[in-house]
Amino acid sequence: MHASHRIAGQFQHAASSSLYAALATISANGRLSIVSAADNSSLCQAGVDDYRFGTVLPGLAVELQLRDGAVFVPDDRSFRWPQLSAKAKLAAWLESHKLAMLAAVFLSPLLLWWIIVYAMPMAAGAAVPLVPDSVKRQMGQQTFYSLQQTVLQPTELAAPQQATVQYHWQMALQQLPLQQSNYKLYLYKSDFFGANAFALPDGTVVVTDGLVKLLHDKPDALLAVLLHEIGHVEGQHSVRLVAQSLGAALVFGILFGDPEGIAELVLGSGSVLLQSAFSRDMEREADQFALQQLKALGKSPSAFADAMSALLSEHGDSDDTSASLLKYLSSHPDTRERIEQATQQHTD
Amino acid sequence: MENTFGTTTPQPNQARISNVAFSGQAGEFFGIWIVNLLLSIVTLGIYSAWAKVRTNQYFYGHTSIENQSFRYLASPIQILKGRIIAVIIFALFFVLSAVSPIFAVVLALAFLIASPWLIVQSLKFNMRMTSYRNVRFAFNGDYAGAFKHFVLLPVLAVFTLYLAMPWVLKRIDQFVYGNISYGGKQFQANTETGNYYIAALVAIAAVICVGIAFSIISALVIGATAFGTQSSLDGVLGVTGFLIFVMYFLMLTLSGAIYQTMIRNHLFERTELPQIVQFKSEARVMPFLWLTITNLLAIICTLGLAYPWARIRKASYFAGVTTVAVYPQADSLVDQAQQSSSAFGEEAAGLFDIDVSLA
Repeated sequence: MHASHRIAGQFQHAASSSLYAALATISANGRLSIVSAADNSSLCQAGVDDYRFGTVLPGLAVELQLRDGAVFVPDDRSFRWPQLSAKAKLAAWLESHKLAMLAAVFLSPLLLWWIIVYAMPMAAGAAVPLVPDSVKRQMGQQTFYSLQQTVLQPTELAAPQQATVQYHWQMALQQLPLQQSNYKLYLYKSDFFGANAFALPDGTVVVTDGLVKLLHDKPDALLAVLLHEIGHVEGQHSVRLVAQSLGAALVFGILFGDPEGIAELVLGSGSVLLQSAFSRDMEREADQFALQQLKALGKSPSAFADAMSALLSEHGDSDDTSASLLKYLSSHPDTRERIEQATQQHTD
Repeated sequence: MENTFGTTTPQPNQARISNVAFSGQAGEFFGIWIVNLLLSIVTLGIYSAWAKVRTNQYFYGHTSIENQSFRYLASPIQILKGRIIAVIIFALFFVLSAVSPIFAVVLALAFLIASPWLIVQSLKFNMRMTSYRNVRFAFNGDYAGAFKHFVLLPVLAVFTLYLAMPWVLKRIDQFVYGNISYGGKQFQANTETGNYYIAALVAIAAVICVGIAFSIISALVIGATAFGTQSSLDGVLGVTGFLIFVMYFLMLTLSGAIYQTMIRNHLFERTELPQIVQFKSEARVMPFLWLTITNLLAIICTLGLAYPWARIRKASYFAGVTTVAVYPQADSLVDQAQQSSSAFGEEAAGLFDIDVSLA
């Protein structure tokens, strides 16, 4: 029925900038014929396999592309070839459909949030057991080596004090049903870390002289800190953090890849916030682990609160208003929140 | 925006002057962007290749000179292949550098060696996929040139305390634009080193002036409140911290706007396709600065929903300040090299006919 319709447009031969005002006809059997509008001479004839339609986009004409590289563009931008399949028009239809836009406005952020908050940590958790121990050993050893070279100095604690810490450590290791086997505790002096402790994925746990001194009269509090670090290793948090950060970086890179410079700032800070959020979740998990194991060892969960209080006073009390803003940037949950958690467990 | 092409009969060899027209609309592009975003999320990123092609086709198709629009020719499959490779490289890089700092250094070196190849590959791909009046662009730079301009010269500039950096940037622009050809004819980029130094100096001077003005104002404000209570001083210091962040960003935008507009104008003035086309860009610092800042504010205030509007606005601004002089030779160009290859992208695409890029 449309066969006799002649579509006015412009024709160009392959790789040639010459323009011809032309008329295109597609016959019932799909044969394309393009003639010059000026003198009706034939410009192009093509069977159904030798031409195809360009992309259908809102506001743009749908061109005809010929196999040899010639192209015909209808003058009327809103003209849609009757021969176009529904599938070819589907994307453009969705893109100009109000309801589809509205649905996309709500569903996009919702799905993105679900993927990042639930799906990705879940996938990371599932992938972590697949990471071979040798990789975790490498991660731990390499990081440990670079820290030793840079910010860790030999411990200056007296031998008996070192022995006490190692004793608590061994007690905890022997009495707890732990999945990992390569736990090792090291003591180091570090001005960089201050009073602190950290765990590496291969089971290496480092406690600074500062922390041992700070908690020297609260052995259970020190034990709570050690358990917290063991919690990181048991939960394989280092590997999970790498997996989740990689996932988030890929999601943002692919979906918002070319942010034209201006949105980069917004997206950049978004991924920093996200990374901190992942880290905070893992700290909470390690806290929970420590509280449970304290109970299992017959100690009071308030020991953990003691450790946190001591660290809080050591690192100085921060202003409440600024803390409420900064908490989204912090890699650790608010210390008061952590103390509350511990005291709650205690009263439970 | 409409040009007067066709209404006058130009003299032979007389250039026809016209504006670059941009006819994209924010409302229309919003639909394309948000629907494609949702489809990309639902398909776990796979559809993002189609989204990229559709977005580029929209912007190219709405940018026209003398009523003839540009065309973006890449097929989504080519983009998808490039992205899959980019994702694998990126993931390897990310994971290996997390596993070991030594790996990270080795990989960084490997990347330094591979990056000129990636840059050349990307420029070649993107130029070949751009067509105007059914004639394609091409990029003819090679690995050695890219290594020299993107790795060697910037590294050497560090040893001059960045004093040579404007010159290096000039050389980079000349390498990129001087190696583009259209219909087999090479562009000529005769940019001057002096203009790059002037642009850099003006940008730095503006930042210093704004910085001094800001320090004086904040000193006055803090001084005035020093007589007040301690708590109000705390408040002022908190606000100052936020203001410093805003100022830092403003200065970056200001210097960027100055440098970008000055260099764009100079580059367009001095780049031509001899006897075929010449360009002129009349971008101005303040309107562009205003555009950039309001775009960013709109994006922040609408939680990202204004992004399509901002992008259309920017494209429209740059089109509006650009004029082109087209010589009659442009009407009868024939690209010999291009004629031989098949037009149906995926049939012609070789194994490495891709742009290895996440974006």
